Amino acid sequence: MSLLEKSGAEIDAIIARYPQKRSAVLPLLYLAQDEYGYLTDAAMREVATILDLPPTDVFEVAGFYSLLYEQPVGRWVLQVCDDVPCAFCGAEELIATIQERLGITVDQTTADGMFTLQRVKCLADCNHAPLLQANLEYHRDLTTPQQVDQLLAALRRRAESGEKLSISGRYAEQ
Amino acid sequence: MPDVTLVINGQTVTVPAGTNIVDAARAAGVAIPVFCYHPRLPPVGMCRMCLVEVWTPRVDPATRQVVIGDDGKPVMALMMGKLQPGCVTPVSDGMEVRTATEKVHVAQKGQLEFLLTSHPLDCPVCDKGGECPLQNLTMQFGPSTSRFDYGDKIHFEKPIPLGDLIYLDRERCILCSRCVRFQDELAGDPVLGFDHRGRAWEIISKSDPPFDSKFSGNTTDICPVGALTSADFRFKARVWEVRPTASICPHCPVGCNLSLDMRHDKLMRVMPRENDYVNEIWICDKGRFGMRFIESADRLRHPLIRKGDSLVPAPWDEAIALVAEKLSQIREHAGAASLGGLAGPELPNEDLYLFQKLVRQTLGSPNLDCSTGASGAPEVVDLAATLGVGRGTNLAKSGAGTAVLIMGADPEEEAPLYVLRLRGIVARGGDLTVINPYPTKLERSAARSIRPHAGFEAFAALALVKAVLDQGLIATEFVTARVQGLDELTARLREQSVESLCETAGVSEASVRAAAQAFATAEHAIIIYGRAALAAGEDVLRALTDLALLTGKAGRPGSGVIALLPGGNARGALDMGVHPGAGSRRGMGAREMWAAARDGRLRGMIIAGMDPARDNPAIAAALDALEFVVVQDIFLTETAQRADVVLPTASIAGREGTFTNAERRVQRFRQARIPEYNTPAGWEVMQRIARALPPGRSESVTDARPVAGRRAQRASGATATATMDAPPATWDYAVASDVADEIAATVRGYAGTTYASLGLTRAPEWGRQPDEAVYYDGTSYQNAEGIGIQIAATADDPKTVFALRARVPAPFTRHATRPYLLLAVTRAYDGGEWGRESKLRSRMVPPHVILSVADAAAHSVAPGAIVRLESDAGRIELPVQIEVTLPQGLVLIPDVCGTPLSTIQTGPQTWVAISRVA
Ligand code: SF4
Ligand code: SF4
Ligand code: FES
Ligand code: FES
Repeated sequence: MSLLEKSGAEIDAIIARYPQKRSAVLPLLYLAQDEYGYLTDAAMREVATILDLPPTDVFEVAGFYSLLYEQPVGRWVLQVCDDVPCAFCGAEELIATIQERLGITVDQTTADGMFTLQRVKCLADCNHAPLLQANLEYHRDLTTPQQVDQLLAALRRRAESGEKLSISGRYAEQ
Repeated sequence: MPDVTLVINGQTVTVPAGTNIVDAARAAGVAIPVFCYHPRLPPVGMCRMCLVEVWTPRVDPATRQVVIGDDGKPVMALMMGKLQPGCVTPVSDGMEVRTATEKVHVAQKGQLEFLLTSHPLDCPVCDKGGECPLQNLTMQFGPSTSRFDYGDKIHFEKPIPLGDLIYLDRERCILCSRCVRFQDELAGDPVLGFDHRGRAWEIISKSDPPFDSKFSGNTTDICPVGALTSADFRFKARVWEVRPTASICPHCPVGCNLSLDMRHDKLMRVMPRENDYVNEIWICDKGRFGMRFIESADRLRHPLIRKGDSLVPAPWDEAIALVAEKLSQIREHAGAASLGGLAGPELPNEDLYLFQKLVRQTLGSPNLDCSTGASGAPEVVDLAATLGVGRGTNLAKSGAGTAVLIMGADPEEEAPLYVLRLRGIVARGGDLTVINPYPTKLERSAARSIRPHAGFEAFAALALVKAVLDQGLIATEFVTARVQGLDELTARLREQSVESLCETAGVSEASVRAAAQAFATAEHAIIIYGRAALAAGEDVLRALTDLALLTGKAGRPGSGVIALLPGGNARGALDMGVHPGAGSRRGMGAREMWAAARDGRLRGMIIAGMDPARDNPAIAAALDALEFVVVQDIFLTETAQRADVVLPTASIAGREGTFTNAERRVQRFRQARIPEYNTPAGWEVMQRIARALPPGRSESVTDARPVAGRRAQRASGATATATMDAPPATWDYAVASDVADEIAATVRGYAGTTYASLGLTRAPEWGRQPDEAVYYDGTSYQNAEGIGIQIAATADDPKTVFALRARVPAPFTRHATRPYLLLAVTRAYDGGEWGRESKLRSRMVPPHVILSVADAAAHSVAPGAIVRLESDAGRIELPVQIEVTLPQGLVLIPDVCGTPLSTIQTGPQTWVAISRVA
C-alpha cells in the first residue's frame, strides 16, 4: 500500500499547513520512515512524487538530517548524548552499559530489530545528565545499570504491547 | 544602473553598481583567485578562495556621516574587521580593495592547504591535469607543505558513475557546487544535489536515469577539479597533447561552436568553443558525445557499384564514369526533368551549393529537395529568411524588455541549446510564453504555458493576432511604413472574437491576451516555431507572421522569427537552393518525386547525405522503381543499399566547410584530420561528377545565365547581387574556399561570407580569460577561429514591405471513427547514424507510443503493453509509455529509428484508433 493510500488524509493535512508543497518534505519523510521502518530508496521517491520535487532534492534533505534514517533501524532508536557535560556525568558508562546489555555497539541494531544505539551531541538537557532519547522521548539521569535495565525492559514491553511507536518521534512527549 | 567608483590595488575603477568585487577586479586586470564563483552562475560564496581586504569609509553611527580624518580624507575601516569573500561582496562608492596583502596571502594559502587536506593528489592520472584550477592555484598561491596528516585524508571509492556519461571522483570534489548550480539554474534540470554533511558531503544524482540532462557534459568543463570527468574522454589523452580544431556542431540548427580535440588523427574529445552569439560556453550532450561516428569502423571507404544483387567496391574513376554515363543517358533519352536530387539538411553549404549547381544547372533538372518526402513530413514554411531574427541579434544579451513566444516547438529535443539561451533570457528578466499541444520541459521556465488542442493550434495563433488588433497593440509606425493589408485583415477577422477563437483552441483567453500584451509591448520580441507548428500547417505560420508584423517585431536586432527546422543545416540547404522553388522553373519536391518515380516519370536520382528509405517501405519501393540511383553518404544507409552506385565522403572532421544556423549565422569549420580513408568532401564528389558529364544540350540548362567565369565573379563578389540561377558554368574548384567564394558571389545574402571574414574574431568583449590560470571559467575554448557572420533577413532591408496574410482556419473536424490525434515528435537522441559508437546509445529509446493517463486507462493498458494504432494509411503496433501531463486524445510517437511512422501517418497530423493487443 502506498503512503498516499494509507495516510492520504494526513498527508493532505500536512501539505495544507504550508504555502508551498515542497515545505512538507520533512513531515512527509518522518511519516514515510515510520511507515517503512526507515527511508528506503522507493520511499524517498514516493515522497518526491507526492510533492512534485526532483527526487535528488528529497535525498539531499534525507542525507542532511541525522534524524532521518537511510539505513534500517530498530523500533526504538536510543540516542545517548556524549557531549562534554554529559561525558563528565557518565555518558560513556551509560553507553558501555547499553552496549553490554544489548550485545551491540554504537550504530548497530539488535538482532530482534528492537533497539538501535547511537551517539549524539548535546540534547539540551545537561542538568539531567547522563541521558538519552528513545524515539525522541527523553529518559534522564540514567546513572545506574539498574535504571538502564528497567528502561530497556519498559521500552521492550511497550513495543510488544502493540503500542504505536514512531522512530521519527511523532508521539514523543517532550 | 548607476556606476560605482572604487579603488582596487591602487587603481581607480568604475563599474556598474551591483558588480561583485571579483568581477570589478577582473575589469581592472586584477585576478582574484576563485573556485566556486563562475561568472555565468549566481555567486554563492562557498569556497572562500576569493577572500580579500575590503576597506570602506568609516561612518559615524550617531551622525551617519563619513568620518573625515586629519588629512581631510575619509577614515577607512576594514569591512567587518576581517577578510571578505569578493565574489559575494558588491562594490560600493569609495571602497578600497586590496588583493595582495600579507593577510590575503595567508588566507589564500590556508584555504588551499585546507582544500588539499582531503584531496587525493592524483594529478598524474587525472583527466583535469594540465587545465585544472586547483593545480594552477596551488602552484601560484598554495603552501608547499601541509600541516595535516596524510593518513587523515578522506577516502571514497574511486570514480563512481553519476550517470552513463559522467563519472564522479568524490575524493577530488572540492564541494564548490558549480555543477549543482549549473543544473539547477542554467539547465533547469535539477538532477544533482549534495548528500550528507561535513567531510562526508558528496554529490549525488537520483533522477531516473541518473544525471538525466541533455547538458550534463558542461559540468565537466566548469568543475574546477577533476571530480567530474566524461565517460567519453576518461584516460584517453593528456590535455596538452591534443590539438584543438575549430568546428561546428552539425546536429541541430543551433550550430554550436565546437572544438574537435585531436591527437594525431584521432578524436580525443569534443569541447565547446565560446561564441556568445550562438552557444556562449556551452554545448549539449548530443554535440559532445555524438561525434564518435566519424571514427566508426562502419564508415564507407570505397565507392560501391551494383553488380546484380550486391554492391562491390570499385575505383573512383570507374564509379564516377558510371554515374556520369547513366545520368547523361537518362537525360538524353528521357529529358533532364526525369532526373531529381535530394540532399540532406546536415550537409555543409559547399556540398549543398554544388549539389544544387550539378542538378539544376549542369544536369538541367529543377527537381531538388532537402526533405525526405515522407508522408508525415510537414511542408517546410520558412519565415526565418524573411522576417528575421534581425541581423545583430545576440540572445545572450536579450533579457528584460524581450518577450519570447514558443509556438509548436520542443527546443530541448529539436535544438537543445536554445533551452539554455531561453532560460538565460528569462533569468535576465525576459518574458517567455510556450504554446504547444503537448507538454515540454521548457514550460517550467515560462511565464505562461498555453496548451491548444492538437489540430487547433491555428486558432490559438489567430487569437493572438485578434488580441493584438482588439487591444490596440499595433505598432503604427512600422505597419504604416512596411505592412500592407491591415484593412483586409481586420475585415477577415471581423466575425471572430478572441473569446471564441480561444474556446475553439481550448485555451484560456486571459493567457492568450496576456501573451499578446507581453509580446506587443516588449521592446523586442522573438517567435520560435518548430515541428509541431509546421505539423499544424500554414495557417499557424501566417498568423505568427502577422503577429510579428503588426507589432513591429521584425527587421531589427533582437526581434523576429527563428525556425527550428529538422537538420543542422536546413537554413543552408534552403539558402543554397536545394528546394524545388529556388530556380526560375519550379520543380518537383521530394514527395512529388516519389510519385513520379513510381509511375516512371522520374528515372534517375542523386541522393546526398539523406536516408529517405529508412523506416519507409513506400519510398524504398519508389527508389527501386528508378532506373538509376547514386547515393553519396558516409555510411551504407538503407537508401545506399538500394543504390546503383554509392560514393563515400569525408565527415566534417576530414574536410572544411560552412554551415548556416537558425539565426542565419554562417559559420566555418576547419579540417581536423586527414580525410578518413582518403574520402573526398561532398563538394568534390559533385565536381567529379560534373566534370565527367558530357556537355548537355543547351535547352536543358535554361536556368543558367552565362557569366564571365568564376575568377571574374569573385573579384566583384562584394557587390554581387546575382540570384541562385546565375552561377558560372565552370567547375574548377581547387579548395573548399573556392566554392565558398562562389557562394558569396552568387547566393543572395551571402556576399561577404568568405573564409577570411568568417574567420574573424571579436575583441574579448565576452569577458572570458580562459588562459589565465587564476581566473577560471572552465575548459571551453576561447574563440580564436571566427565567430561567423550573420547574414541579413529580407526584413532587415527597411525598404521591404510585407503583406498580412492571416486567415480564419477552416473548421477542424474530428474523425468519426478514429478519435485520437497522432503527432510524431522529435527526439534529440533519435538513434540515427550520428549516434554510432556514441556513449549516448544507452539514452536512445526503442520505438514506442505515448498515451495520456486517461486514454491508457480507457484501454486498460499499462506501461509496456502493446497497442495497435490504426489510421487510414495502415496499422502499426507499439509498446506504450504513459505520460502524466499529456492531454487526453493526443497520441505521441517519438520519431526515432525503427519506428514505422510512414506506415501510419496520413500527414503531419493523423487521426488514429487505438486498440489493445497484449
Ligand atoms: S563535482 Fe566539481 S563542480 Fe561539482 S561540487 Fe565537486 S568540485 Fe564542484
Ligand atoms: S545544441 Fe545543437 S548544435 Fe549545439 S551541441 Fe547540441 S546538437 Fe549540437
Ligand atoms: S551535553 Fe548532554 S545534554 Fe547537553
Ligand atoms: S567564495 Fe568566492 S569564489 Fe568561492
